[in-house]
Amino acid sequence: MTKKLVGLMWLVVLWACACGMGLAQGQTGRLEITGVPPEVSTGRYDRQAGVFAADVSGIEGALIHVTFEEVQITGQKLEWRTDDDYLVFTQGAALTKEDFTLTADAVEYFGEEKKLRAAGNVVVITKDATVYADELDYNEETDEAVFTGKVKVEFEDGVLEGTKFVMLLEKSELQFFGAFQGLFNTERE
Amino acid sequence: MSLSAKAKRIILFSAALVAVILFVAYRYLLQPPPPAVSVPPSVQLVQSRLVGRREGQRQWEIISRSVLQEGDVVTLSDLERMVVFQDEEPYLHIQTPRAQWLRKTEVLQLYGPVVVEGEEGLRLESGYLEWQGQTGRLLSPGPVQILWRGMEIRAQEMSLDMEEGLMYLRRGVEIRDGAFTWKLEEAAYNLDAESMDFYGNVVLEGEAGSD
Repeated sequence: MTKKLVGLMWLVVLWACACGMGLAQGQTGRLEITGVPPEVSTGRYDRQAGVFAADVSGIEGALIHVTFEEVQITGQKLEWRTDDDYLVFTQGAALTKEDFTLTADAVEYFGEEKKLRAAGNVVVITKDATVYADELDYNEETDEAVFTGKVKVEFEDGVLEGTKFVMLLEKSELQFFGAFQGLFNTERE
Repeated sequence: MSLSAKAKRIILFSAALVAVILFVAYRYLLQPPPPAVSVPPSVQLVQSRLVGRREGQRQWEIISRSVLQEGDVVTLSDLERMVVFQDEEPYLHIQTPRAQWLRKTEVLQLYGPVVVEGEEGLRLESGYLEWQGQTGRLLSPGPVQILWRGMEIRAQEMSLDMEEGLMYLRRGVEIRDGAFTWKLEEAAYNLDAESMDFYGNVVLEGEAGSD
């Protein structure tokens, strides 16, 4: 069990790196839309409303990339409200940093509240573990990541399943809420 | 008096030669030349005020030190003032050293360096601009630089549909807006709604969380 928790701690550290460092305000970022033929409409920027919307879901091979330092978020549909620094990726949304990957149906970032939310088929993959959930809420202020819904944490030699799983990153603490089931391979090397 | 056959031939040949000479002289020397192609005399005016109208509405007004009219082409040099109107109100003020007004096609060609200034800090610079009166479009087929409501816009080609209030930017489009810089292939900017449609690949560089 200790080995599994160490694996989860690694996940915690990587998560902190990806979210805390990458999405901090004031960082130089880059948005790029690739694979679009010149005559095809890519998106619209409403300057009065401060909203940029892009949709390349109907264009084969086209993708929207947002890069903050070493963190990259990709997807096929994006809405970015520049005034309140809100950003939502839908359709094939993925957040990556080195060997850390988060995929979900939608990834939202609330810049003013410093929160990140992923919803629908949430999968977080690290070198040591994979977490599946219906939803993920991450709060930069409290450094807390909450996985809810059908939560499953897979290690190399075990699986934990439950309905709510919280990572308190600053405290390096993992909390399991409600009924959790664990299945581990107890064979010793 | 009877003439020898030889003398008759000489007389006949001489008569024929005289006839030919007379015909040639009449045809080419004595006949008046054909009327010249009608070319209206060019008209040059000094210190003129010209007003372009369409359906009674004033489209533009030019004060020029030199105006030369040749047929349907009016060449304006040393322009002092050029104003484009919209709904009878001054809309754009243009500085250009030379312009040509093609009356038949209602095209006003402005030769650079051209500077266009308008409301809300609009400043447009181009090497050549063309105002197409029939379609109400201002066209820059070459590089253009625009300052507009705090934005700095560059493109290799621009056309402005003044009736629709739409600015089309093409090739090498770069838009600086505060901390953000857009780089794209093509954009259509709605001046009234302040919205911009992007076409093709897009790059946006900037600072997250900045205003």
